[in-house]
Amino acid sequence: MRLLSTFLIGVSSGSIYSLMALALVLVWRSTRVVNFAQAGQAIASTYLGYLVITHTNNYWLALPVAMVAGAVIGALADIALIRPLNRRIKSGPVLEIAPVIATLGLLGLIRSLVGMIWGGDLKQYRAPVSINGFTFGHTTIPFSRFNLLIVFTAIVVMVIFAFVFQRTGLGLALRAAAFQPEIARLAGVRVDLVRTIGWAIAGATGAIAGVLVTPSTSLSPNSLDLLLVLGFVSAVIGGLESLIGAVIGGLILGIGLALILEYVSTSLAFPAAFVVLILILIVKPAGLFGMKRGRDA
Amino acid sequence: MRKSRIKLALELIAIAIALFFLGNSVSDFRVYEGATVALYVIAICSIILLTGYSGQISLGHGALMAVGAYAAVLARYYWHTSGLLSLIIAVLAAALFGLFLGWAAARLRGPYLAGTTLALAVGLPSLANQFHFLGGEQGLNFDIGAPPKFLGSNFSTTKWYFWICSLAALIIFWLVYNLLHSRFGRQWQAMRSAPVSAAISGINIARSKVLAFTISSGVAGLAGALLVMTLNLVTPSAFPLSLSFAIVTGAVLAGITRLGGAVVGALIIVAIPDIADQIAIKAGGVERVSANLPGFITSLLLILTILFAPNGANIGKFMSLRKKKTS
Repeated sequence: MRLLSTFLIGVSSGSIYSLMALALVLVWRSTRVVNFAQAGQAIASTYLGYLVITHTNNYWLALPVAMVAGAVIGALADIALIRPLNRRIKSGPVLEIAPVIATLGLLGLIRSLVGMIWGGDLKQYRAPVSINGFTFGHTTIPFSRFNLLIVFTAIVVMVIFAFVFQRTGLGLALRAAAFQPEIARLAGVRVDLVRTIGWAIAGATGAIAGVLVTPSTSLSPNSLDLLLVLGFVSAVIGGLESLIGAVIGGLILGIGLALILEYVSTSLAFPAAFVVLILILIVKPAGLFGMKRGRDA
Repeated sequence: MRKSRIKLALELIAIAIALFFLGNSVSDFRVYEGATVALYVIAICSIILLTGYSGQISLGHGALMAVGAYAAVLARYYWHTSGLLSLIIAVLAAALFGLFLGWAAARLRGPYLAGTTLALAVGLPSLANQFHFLGGEQGLNFDIGAPPKFLGSNFSTTKWYFWICSLAALIIFWLVYNLLHSRFGRQWQAMRSAPVSAAISGINIARSKVLAFTISSGVAGLAGALLVMTLNLVTPSAFPLSLSFAIVTGAVLAGITRLGGAVVGALIIVAIPDIADQIAIKAGGVERVSANLPGFITSLLLILTILFAPNGANIGKFMSLRKKKTS
């Protein structure tokens, strides 16, 4: 029972990591940028969702509002920052680090703006359903209705992802623009627009992750930093290229961390995640689902 | 253009003498800020060596500073080492940690390295909360000892810290300058701009990268130890993510390949909170605004620099008309 419950908790937190990893992978595929600002974009969206909750007391309204906000912020980030950056910097010692620096700057910018508007104190996000664990007979397990909701929402998002990418023209354009931008452009795909759409979808996905994770913790301008790191680790486990890899990477990390937290020690969760990251990068740098191309690109 | 070792040394001695008189003529608070500038110069030098020359990025140098700081404090706390020995232990411990990290890092490029070091910056300082002997959230006291008697009884501790930090900064600057203009510096530059050609020319890329990471980490460790010396205390909260970002920002602002820019970068990083305070007071002094204004200005500067002056705000160009070739 304890094992099953731990496993379920792992699936629940793992699906949030998966969502964050999906957001990172999507941006990486479309623009070759690991978007460190994703935590910032998600936190801004989550605060907007908080605004909705405090005014209407309705979590279900907060989720779409945060998603739309996340999409808009994501699209803006691409148009206002990444496009000019790619136009301006074509060579030189900063070529490789420029996107990292730019998204880092954006992360700081959004975080400080959020802090200026809402202050640095911890805010509580009310969950829409009970966060008390299910009870079977006399035993109560930590897995709650809200955890179930998280898993369910994540599955819905992933099904939509799979449908869009495999069955629609937009999905084909997204894949083509990521795989061979020059040829896609020749074939009539508006690569810049498609990339911006990729950023928007990623922004919305990150926003969902933010809104889902926050009721279990609390909200502050840097409360999603850890989620960004865990999302990155998940994405690396999956190979940083593959959407399905991101999902599975998130689940592996979630379940693994849950087991360590439950059976080993609560203080070892972060070092464990870091060791996993280093090990994956050393032993299997292309990730479990990555292409063989290696990590130089 | 490489300055001769002697000429640079003489220039640095001149700066030291100027700093000596400066330290005596300004208020205690400015002296304290001077010490902070000096230790930021050291930290930024470590980033310039690593990123500007060897081409590896680190968003986790704040964590390496923490390693150095905790090593120095623990050595002094449990073994009662002298101040100087504590600082040396800080350098060695951080370098050792960097050696291990660099071994993994040498296989990574760009975003992978950035992500891994970011993970380190987010997670490592908070580890101190988990282990009792590291002092937890309250931290451990770090007292490097009173200034030597011969400096007089009214010689303030702040000024003593300023002297130590400045001297350390000048020495590190001299060492790093010479290192960057040595065989190793040239190897790093070759490796960064043309890795394949460099490898064909017989440069061992992996070893070169690990070496750069190790040295850079050691230098960062010294900066960390000096930081907690000025604070008199080591706590996890002395090494937030924003510290890692700040030193990268300082390095980028003044040009990632310009060692001399480290001073400009450090001055800007230390001046920003002051300037932000002035603006915040004029804007009505709301606490949440004034608390976040420094971060806002720093981030904005970082974005503007990378967009409009990616090789750094070329301050040297304004100061001398001579056009320098940037590497």
